[in-house]
Amino acid sequence: MLKYLLVVLSESSTSFCHYESKPGKGPAKDLIPLKSLENAVIFALKNNLKVNFLYPARKLGQAYEDLIEGVDHVKIVPFAARARYPEAILVIESSDFPVAVELRTLRGGNIILRLRRTDLPKLSACLGRLLPRAKRVNLVLTDVEKYGPGEFTEYRRQLEKVSTRLQAMSAGKEPPELNVLTDRLVLGKMNNCDAGLSHLTVAPNGRFYLCPAFFYGSPDETLGEIRNDVPIGNRQLLELKYAPICRICDAYHCRRCVFLNRTLTLELNTPSYQQCQLSHIEREASRLYSQKLKAAGGSAAALVDIPEIAYDDPFDVVVANKQSIAEFKKL
Amino acid sequence: MSKNNPVKIEPNRSWEENRSKNVTFVVTEDCQLRCRYCYMVGKNKAGRLKLDIAEKAIDYLLGQRELVPESSVVWDFIGGEPFLEIDLIDRICDYFKIRAYELSHPWFDSYRFSFSTNGLLYNDDRVQKFIAKNASHLSIQITVDGTRAKHNLQRVYPNGQGSYDDVVRNIPRWLEQFPKSSTKVTISSDDIPHIKESVLHLWGLGIKEVNINVVFEDVWKPGDDERFEDQLVSLADEIIAKKLYETYSCSFFSKMLGYPYRDNNNWCGAGKMLAVDHLGNFYPCVRFLGFSLQNRAALVLGNCFDGIDRNRLRSFLTLDMVSQSPAECIDCDVAMGCAWCQGANYDCADTATIFQRATYLCKMHKARVRANNYFWNKLGRRLGKDLRAESSGDGPGSC
Repeated sequence: MLKYLLVVLSESSTSFCHYESKPGKGPAKDLIPLKSLENAVIFALKNNLKVNFLYPARKLGQAYEDLIEGVDHVKIVPFAARARYPEAILVIESSDFPVAVELRTLRGGNIILRLRRTDLPKLSACLGRLLPRAKRVNLVLTDVEKYGPGEFTEYRRQLEKVSTRLQAMSAGKEPPELNVLTDRLVLGKMNNCDAGLSHLTVAPNGRFYLCPAFFYGSPDETLGEIRNDVPIGNRQLLELKYAPICRICDAYHCRRCVFLNRTLTLELNTPSYQQCQLSHIEREASRLYSQKLKAAGGSAAALVDIPEIAYDDPFDVVVANKQSIAEFKKL
Repeated sequence: MSKNNPVKIEPNRSWEENRSKNVTFVVTEDCQLRCRYCYMVGKNKAGRLKLDIAEKAIDYLLGQRELVPESSVVWDFIGGEPFLEIDLIDRICDYFKIRAYELSHPWFDSYRFSFSTNGLLYNDDRVQKFIAKNASHLSIQITVDGTRAKHNLQRVYPNGQGSYDDVVRNIPRWLEQFPKSSTKVTISSDDIPHIKESVLHLWGLGIKEVNINVVFEDVWKPGDDERFEDQLVSLADEIIAKKLYETYSCSFFSKMLGYPYRDNNNWCGAGKMLAVDHLGNFYPCVRFLGFSLQNRAALVLGNCFDGIDRNRLRSFLTLDMVSQSPAECIDCDVAMGCAWCQGANYDCADTATIFQRATYLCKMHKARVRANNYFWNKLGRRLGKDLRAESSGDGPGSC
C-alpha cells in the first residue's frame, strides 16, 4: 500500500540515497514544471500520501513553495540549503566535511550522511562529529558496486569504532540513532525501502518512477504519467515473498535497494553480493553493539535478540538449500 | 521391474547428470538448414568462434575452481551447425586436454565432448577423423525428426527443400559407431499429426531412444492439446500392443510425470550451465544469446577477458519454482514434468526478468499427463502391476 510520494523538484536535487543526481545546474529549466508539481500534490492529497520533497541547492520560486506547503510533507535538502530550511532533513556528503565548519550549528535534527567509498576510512571521524549533534543519522554508502573485500574489512573496522562512540552516548537522555547500528536492535521483521510498494517517485520530467535512482540511472524505465492506476510490470517482484535470497534473511534493516538490484544483478528481486555483505557487516556490528548494551544494563533489555550466524551472505544459504513450497506458502 | 517384463520406455539419464559442468561453445551462428521451428532466429555467417577466444574461455574456466567446482565437464558444441567448424573444434578439444593435463585439473580425467548436429556432415572425412580421435569421450546426437513428411515439414534448406534423405543416409554409420545414441525430436503445432508415426519410424531406423519435446515458444492453436493427446494415446496403444516398451524409450512417457510438486527446484539449468559465443561472452545458456532472442537483448554474464560477473549469476543460482510461478502452477495437481525454458520465459516476459514463467504450455502439459496416465495404467493392467509409484522429486529437465 502506498504511504508516501517522493517528488524530485529538480534534476539537481540532492540525492538522499545510493544514486547520484545531476549536480547543480544553472537556471530553472531543470525544475519540475509547476503543473507536474501540482499534479503530484493533488495525487498525494487524493491518496492520503505524505510527500518527501527532494530539494536542489538553489532557491525555488514562491509558486513552488506555495504548492509544497499545500500538502503534508518532509523536506530533504542539501547541505548548501540548510539555512533556508532549518526543519528539513539535511543531506551531508562526505565531501562536504572539509569545509563544513557550520556543522557546529546543527541541533538535534535528522541527517543523511552520504559517504563516498574513498572516504570510508573517515567514517568514524565523520560520525564522531555528526552523532552528538543529531537525533538520527542515516548512513548511505555510495559507489556500492565498487566495494570488495578490502572495503568490507574497513567498513567492519569503522563500525566497531562507531559502536564504541555510540555506546558512550547511550547513557544520555536521548541517545542518537544510527540506522546501520541501531535499527536492527528493535526490528523483528524486514523494514526495507519498499520502492514501488510503499512509495513512488515523481521525477522532474513529471513522470512516475519506482524511485529517483531509476530516473537518473535508467530514465526509460518510467511508470508513465501521473495517474491513479500506476502500471508496474511484474510488481510481485518488489515484494519480499518473491525475493528468494531476501525472504530467508534477517538483516531486517537492509534497504534492499531495488535499483542496485536491477543494476548489478539485472533483477529487481535479487540483491548483489555487495548489498548482502554490507548488510551483514551491519547486522553483526549491531549484534555486538547489542551485547555491549545488554551487558551495561539499563533499558537495553528491551532490545530484540540478534542470533549469531555462520554466513555473511544469505545467497550461500539459498544455494545450499532452497526454501520449501510449504515454507513459501506461509509467507 | 522383473526381468520377464522389462519396461525401458523412460530414457537413460545423461553422463554425470547434475554432477558435471555443461559449457556450450557456440562455434558458429550459421547452419545449412533453416528449420522452421528453430529458436535461433538470427542465423548468420559472421558469428564464428576463433581459436584464441575459445582458448581464453577454457583458461578462464579451468582457473576458476571456486566458481566452477564441478568434478566433471561436458563441452557442448553447438551452432548453428557445429560440424561446419570441425577443424576449429578439434583444436579447441586438443587445447582443453593439454591445459587440463598441464594444470592437473580434475576435468582431465572426467570430460565429454558433446554434439547436437543436423547430421549432414557426419560422413565428412574430417568429422570421422575427429570421431576416431575422441571416440571414448564423445556423445553425438543427430537430429532426425521422424518420418520423411514430419522431418521435411520443419527441417529444410534455405530454398525450402527437405533434408530428410541427406540425414538419414548417415544414420547407419552413426548407430554403428554409437549404438546407444538418442535423437531429439521437436514438436511444433503443425507436427502434431505426425507424432506417433514419427516415433515408431525412428525406432524402426534403429534409434532406440527418442527424446522429444514440444517447442517452448507460444505457437499453439486451439485444439492442439486434444490432437496431441490423441497422438500420444495412439502411440501408447501401439507400444503396449507390440511390447515396444521392452526395447525402446520415448521421453513423452515417464513415471515421474503428473504429480503435485514435491520440491521447489527450478526446472531449467540456465546459469548452472554456461554458453560461450564468438566474442568470448558468457551466457546462462545458448537461449540467452542475441540470435536466440526475438524480443530482448542478449543477457551476458561476463566474458573470458574480464571474467564472469558473479552478481549476474545470483538470480540464476537462486531461482526456484515458486518465485517465478503463478499460484495455479504452484498448486497444480499434475505439475511434475511441466517444463519451461528460462530463455523463452525471459524473451516473452512482461519485463526483462527470468522470474516470470510462461504458462501457455499448460494445456499441452495436461494433455501429455493424461496420455501418460493412460499408458502406465494400461500397461500396468497388462502386466498385472502398479507401475505408477510416486516419484521422489522433480529435477532439472532437458530442453
